Amino acid sequence: MKRTRRFIIGGLVILAALAYLIYGGMREALVYFVTPSELKANEGESKGKFLRLGGMVVKGSLQRDPDGLTYRFELTDGSAAMPIYFRGVPPDLFTEGKGAVVEGKIGDKGLFVASTIMAKHSEEYSPHEQGKESSPRSFIPGEEKKQP
Amino acid sequence: MTAGVGYVSIFLALLCALWGIIAPILAQRTRNERFFAGARAAILGQFVFVTLGASALIYGLVMTDFSIKYVAMNTTRATPVYYRVTGLWGALEGSLLLWEWILIIFSALVAWIYKDRHRELMPWVLMIFSVVSTFFLAVVAFASNPFETVFPVPLDGRGLNPLLEDANMMTHPPLLYTGFVGLTVPYAFAMAALIVGRLDESWIVTTRRWTITAWFFLTMGNLVGAWWSYHVLGWGGYWAWDPVENAAFMPWLPATAFLHSVQVQERRRMLKVWNLSLIIIAFSLTIFGTFLTRSGVLSSIHAFSNGPVGGVFLAFLALILLVSFGLLVYRADHFKEQQQLDSMVSRESAFLLNNVVLVSALFTIFLGTIFPLISEAVAGVPVSVGAPYFNWVTVPLFLLLVFLMAVGPMIAWRRASWDNLRRNFLWPAAASLMIGLVLSGVWIREFLSLLGFTLCTFVVATILFDTALAVLARRRVAGEGIFTALATLARRNQRRYGGLVVHLGIVLITLGIAGSMSYSVERQATLGQGETLAIGAYRIRFEGLRGSEQPTHYRVEGAFQVFNNGHALGLFSPALKFFPNQQSPVGRAVHRSSFSEDLYLILSGFSEIENNRATLKVLVRPLVVWIWLGGVVIALGTLVAIWPFRKDRGWKMEG
Repeated sequence: MKRTRRFIIGGLVILAALAYLIYGGMREALVYFVTPSELKANEGESKGKFLRLGGMVVKGSLQRDPDGLTYRFELTDGSAAMPIYFRGVPPDLFTEGKGAVVEGKIGDKGLFVASTIMAKHSEEYSPHEQGKESSPRSFIPGEEKKQP
Repeated sequence: MTAGVGYVSIFLALLCALWGIIAPILAQRTRNERFFAGARAAILGQFVFVTLGASALIYGLVMTDFSIKYVAMNTTRATPVYYRVTGLWGALEGSLLLWEWILIIFSALVAWIYKDRHRELMPWVLMIFSVVSTFFLAVVAFASNPFETVFPVPLDGRGLNPLLEDANMMTHPPLLYTGFVGLTVPYAFAMAALIVGRLDESWIVTTRRWTITAWFFLTMGNLVGAWWSYHVLGWGGYWAWDPVENAAFMPWLPATAFLHSVQVQERRRMLKVWNLSLIIIAFSLTIFGTFLTRSGVLSSIHAFSNGPVGGVFLAFLALILLVSFGLLVYRADHFKEQQQLDSMVSRESAFLLNNVVLVSALFTIFLGTIFPLISEAVAGVPVSVGAPYFNWVTVPLFLLLVFLMAVGPMIAWRRASWDNLRRNFLWPAAASLMIGLVLSGVWIREFLSLLGFTLCTFVVATILFDTALAVLARRRVAGEGIFTALATLARRNQRRYGGLVVHLGIVLITLGIAGSMSYSVERQATLGQGETLAIGAYRIRFEGLRGSEQPTHYRVEGAFQVFNNGHALGLFSPALKFFPNQQSPVGRAVHRSSFSEDLYLILSGFSEIENNRATLKVLVRPLVVWIWLGGVVIALGTLVAIWPFRKDRGWKMEG
């Protein structure tokens, strides 16, 4: 009997430790996924919360500062657009008119300060585009490529 | 024509597989031995037809037969021949066929090796293989057919994902599939043992080398995946806790637990139900992994597009779990008389704890991976679980595991005496504590990495100490030199010494992960020609841009002169590759490895090729190279463990 009790106690201790680990981890790393309209609707509440925001990069909204590392653009879900500020290197697939997911918080003046940008990846490719240039002179992620 | 041959082969193989399921049941019912032979014939038939089918697809790929849709989607006329072949696992349909092919090769090997042994178990083992094979063949035939044709035939194909055009990508999926499929062998034997009701240790002893081999491929598959991520994806990391990485890693955990806990069953006849459960879980997770990867339920860089395949896999998974655990419950009366654990301080309990930790890690990773699904389905709230969750939960568990890696192999069975503990652990513990103290004084400030490094030295110290004592003993007894003594030890107890070498490999990987997680430095800047960026001891000067036309793409290279403390290290040229069929370029990072740290350069953008301005991201990641070296050491250890030293016994699996 003593042995069984010891096993039960041991098991409970292990379960408690595990539950604590999972709880702590989730509290740190659980990220809510919102759309620009949801974010606009609850802007007050969302302030300071780490969020993941998904949408389409609005065409013509992307600006890059001269330092080459600061980006400003807008993400939209069709009904609302959220201005984003990002400093860093966006992923290869990030460009205007395409889907993107950003992670970060709402900062001052309703600007969403992103710490990460994730472009939508897929193993399926768009079909061959006829006449598309294949030797670019510039590549700034998100900027329209210049014709040679 | 090629497509027809392939498709008909798959159907014929499917018929054989169905016969492979029916034959053993008929034999059981009619008590007619001849039907048992049918189970073997069915495996042979499947082997022949699946090989024919896979060869047809490879032939189609190599000959760029664009009338086959799969070929048109995954090759172009410009694709080099070796990448045409690897197109076999470049997309969903082909990779399922590859999986089935590897599965049936394993089945045929098992059928051939044990043709005169395990007369009672074998028909059922082969039947389990046929069941799994039926599932995959049905998926290939009805849900994701690689032999679908297109009309009109396109002039050129679309081509493989350029990220997959890499030597590591040629090996990563087959390695992983081999690991997954390899787990089917112990699973099939376990199920056969349950069906027949012979629940002694024979199924474990028989499948020992198969399990180690499967474990090895699983380990290598994951490591090569990490290596590919590090070298090709160009983000500077090797593991992102992406759902699909988790899917590949999760079976590794119960498989590792199983490798350890079977030793307790062999030695002490304990944990029978536990071992059966572990192998059922490990096998189920390989199917679950495919479900995650191929269904598109979780968005991921690896996920192929949506399709009917996901649901089919989920149904098969449910069937496996239901039948396997159903059988376990049905045979419950066989598990009554069990030995008891004698003491909490013993090898049994160390192995048990190791299992608890591994299964806990599995549970937390599983939960984190599917939590977005649960949240979305139950509460309707879309969430994501980030890498910090996985790091937070797994780091303490893996540190505990490293500690157990030092204790488990050295502590006595049944009940460890004080004498045993003092003899095996006093000196190693003292040595590693000393090293830990020195490290904390010198340069390691962060607690978790300090603990990690100290535990790693503890493992190494116990192994060296134990091996040194054993070598000295052989010297005394047999008068052998050091190397002869080591060879004798390894040959006489190959599983133990192979295992210890594998542990050393794991220690190296732990060091690499701890170093690169805690001490990485990262900087980025846009540079004009001649401008420099300083990071740590490095200075990086931008020399200029160069564009060049390549066979499959247009390549833009940035040239960077790198200096370390003033010494020139040479020219580094990270590049961006522009593929005509792709929207965005593919980055090609470059890095320089040394035993102490990696310097990693990513070209992330450029403007006005004539004016030469480039945006560069630089990382300095310490100790990364030890992760890959650890993989090599694991490979060596595995070889020691499974090498068939005694020639007369051949590939007999009892070791």
